[in-house]
Order: sequence, then structure tokens, then C-alpha cells
Amino acid sequence: MRRRTFLQSLLAVFGTVSAASFAYPLLRFLAPPADADRDKKFTLAKKDIPIGTSRVVLVNDKPVIVIYEKGKGYIALSSVCTHLGCLVGYEAAKNILVCPCHGGTYDLEGNVLSGPPPRPLSKVPLKVENEQLVIG
Amino acid sequence: MNGVTKRIRNWLEVRVGLDELLRSNLTDYRVPSNINLFHTLGAVAVVGYLIQVITGICLLIYYIPHADHAFRSVQEIMTRVPYGWLFRQMHVVGSNLLIAAVFVHMVTIFLMGNYKRPRELTWISGGLLMVITLCFGFSGYLLPWTQLSYWATTVATSIPTAFPVVGDFVSRLLRGGSSVTGITLTRFFAVHVSLLPPLFVFLMVVHIALIRRIGLSATPFGRSDEEKRPLTEFRKKLHPDGYPYYPYLLQKQALMGILYFVVMFLVISFAPTFFFPEEATVPADAFKTPESIRPEWYFLAPYQMLKIIPNKFLGISLQIILLAVFIFWPFLDTHKEKNIFKRPVLRGVFIVVMIAMVILMWWGRR
Repeated sequence: MRRRTFLQSLLAVFGTVSAASFAYPLLRFLAPPADADRDKKFTLAKKDIPIGTSRVVLVNDKPVIVIYEKGKGYIALSSVCTHLGCLVGYEAAKNILVCPCHGGTYDLEGNVLSGPPPRPLSKVPLKVENEQLVIG
Repeated sequence: MNGVTKRIRNWLEVRVGLDELLRSNLTDYRVPSNINLFHTLGAVAVVGYLIQVITGICLLIYYIPHADHAFRSVQEIMTRVPYGWLFRQMHVVGSNLLIAAVFVHMVTIFLMGNYKRPRELTWISGGLLMVITLCFGFSGYLLPWTQLSYWATTVATSIPTAFPVVGDFVSRLLRGGSSVTGITLTRFFAVHVSLLPPLFVFLMVVHIALIRRIGLSATPFGRSDEEKRPLTEFRKKLHPDGYPYYPYLLQKQALMGILYFVVMFLVISFAPTFFFPEEATVPADAFKTPESIRPEWYFLAPYQMLKIIPNKFLGISLQIILLAVFIFWPFLDTHKEKNIFKRPVLRGVFIVVMIAMVILMWWGRR
């Protein structure tokens, strides 16, 4: 191998290794740490949600919509629309959940009724303990 | 010329060859004799960008890029800082006008067929400049930390989730977490003020260097000699029978630059809330998506497309394909005829695309 070819190859190898060894820490630096799995419960007084109304609460840093519907009782669903992440709102007159951003609608089970959402809203465990609602 | 000016000029002349520099770039640089006002739109975009840089630096002095302070600091710029309202209005109105100017520039270049060989790279660099201009608009939108900016960013940073495997990671990378928070704000601030500007300047230098190197296209319509000859070697378009750049084109560019200012100040004076809907004056609330949330006018067409296409992956993939078609158009349209009036199919496609865009924007606005 000629001296110049050897030096060019050496430069290419060192250059690639240097770039790669910088790229990995950069990617790790920019990527956020994974969310720790948490199972903290959120407690809410029943009187804070009158019949036919809803409330958005933060359970383990995730917004959850809690609805008190006359027939179905208390319901807790993720309020993050599965389309593009806006928060759904409860429309009591039609008994549906509506996303204000792109018009997706869900029933109170979280199933998609219309619009672009690709998946149902995920259900969040909810228990009624005396006068308290335990969510999460 | 008085003595001091003459001495300064001589000082520069012997060091950098000032006379030759000015002559070769102003009077000896010839432009086509049939040049028109549409050829000045690129220069108007440069003026627009300079205004954004200057007003942006002014806003940086008072703006605080923190979720707890961003909204208040912007309100203080508008209400307490002397002439803060003026610089913020210039920055906001200017960003919209700049995007409009770049868009009209691209459309006129398209209509005149000036993306054709040998100017494919000039078109691509211009297309990328337009994309970066839109990225400026998008990243700057979050900074006031209003309801509108918060939820528009939530929607936009959810877009990558349409793609399997890497989608969630990209979305988290943009947000700095699983949702839009103060970390997203500082990321967007860093992108807006330190990543995009050098990228934009680099591409602008490449774009202008290509224009100067290849030479301005002579014919707004019809085939020029460049298109007629086989493209086997580089030949600069010199326009020996054209006009000197100064005063003919430079004065036209200056006039259009002033017109840009006039439009900007007309909007600031007579429609100061035009770019500030109600949600843009309410601080961000992560618990409530506003009832009527719409993006800026330049994102209305893609926004409405997402709304009417039922499949998220399909909707977003289609938009990426359309963007790729737009940027790489010179390689798709290899027809030698530049005159759009002699190309009924292309003319029809152009009209349909423009009408579709207007309808989508109007629909998205409702």
C-alpha cells in the first residue's frame, strides 16, 4: 500500500470513528429519559363532579377525563386524543367525547365514533371508595 | 466627494480593490433586458429575513424562555417595554409576510419555468429555504407559550407518531418528553435562535451563489438557448445585451423592499390583531384544548387535509410525498418547453393545485 493511500484510509477510519463516537452521546443527550413506571393513584371527591359533568385530572403525569354520566356512573378515560394528542372534551348533550382539533368523536367507552382517530381512548381504572373516587 | 470620503475610498481601494469589486458586482454584472418585478421577490425575501433577524435580536433582550415566565415576558414586551409592541408586531407580521413572499417567489419561478436545467439546484435550495422558513414559523409559534401555541405544537409534535417503530421516539425527541412541557419550550427556543439561522444563512448563500454562478434566466416564457443546446458543459449565462444590475434591477429590488415595509406597517397600523386570535392572548393550559384551534394560514391546507383524510399514516405520508414532489419537481418535469401557456396539462395541474389549496385553507379556517 502506498503511503498516501494508507494515510487516506487512516483518515477515513479515524474520521468515521470520531463522528460516530460524537453522534451517539449527542443522540443520548437530545433523547429524553424514559418515563419511570409509576402507579400513583389520584383521589377525587365525588362531589367535585356533579352528574352530567366531567373533569380533567393528571394521573401519573397523564391527563385523564373523569365523567359522571347518569346511566353509566363514573368513567375514567385517557383524555389524549389518539389522533394528534389534543385533549377531548365531554359533550353532555350528545353523551360523546369530542376532540376540538380535528373533530374526532368517541363514545363513553372510548370507542371511535367518527373522524380520524386511529384507536380508542384507553380506559383508566377507577374505584369508588365511600365519597372518594380513586383513579389510576 | 469630500476629502475624508475620498481618503476612506482610497484606503479600501488599495487593500480590497473596491472599484473592481463594485464594478464586477453592480455595473458589469448584466441582467436580462426583459427582467420584471417578479425577479425582485427573492431580494424581498432577503429583506424580510433581515427584518426578522433584527427584530428577533431585540425580542431576545426581554424574552424569557421558561414555561413559568415566557407568557408574562411577552406580555411585558407588548405593554411595558418602550416600543416593545412595535418590534414584536414587526416580528410576527414579518414572519407571515416573509412566508407569503417566499411562496409567491416560488410560484412565479414555477410559472416562468426557471427551475429547469441548469437551475435544478437553485430550485432545490430555494425549496429547502422555504421549508426552513416554515420551521422558523413553527418553532417560533410555541415561544409566547399561549393556548394556541401550546396546542398547535402538541398537534404538530404528534405527527411523527403516525410512523411505526421510530415515530414515538421522534415525537419524544421533539418534545423532550411524552408531552409538551417547559422542556419543549427550551428545545424550540434553541432551534429557533441557534440552529435554524445558520442553516438558513448557509442555504441562502448557496442559493445566491448559484444564481450568480449560473446567471439569471433570460426568458420568462419560451425556450432559451440554454434549453436548446445539449447540456454537456458548464456555460455561464452572461447577458451581454442586457442591462447592468445597478441601477436597473437593484432599484426595482429596493422599491419592492420598501413596498414590503409599507404592507407590514399597514397591517400593524390598521389590523394589529390580524395575526393574534383570542387564543393567542391566553396563557397555555395543559388541561384544556381550546374549542377553536387553528394553525397559522400557511399550515391551514395541511391541517385540513389531516382532518379529512381518515387514516393518520396516509394523511401524513401524503403530505410528505407532496413536499418531496415540490422540492424535486425539476427532476420530474423534464419537458423542454418552459412556456406554461404551451403546456395545457401542466397549466391545468397548477390551477387545480392552487384552487385545492385555497379551498383547503378556506375550509380549515371555518
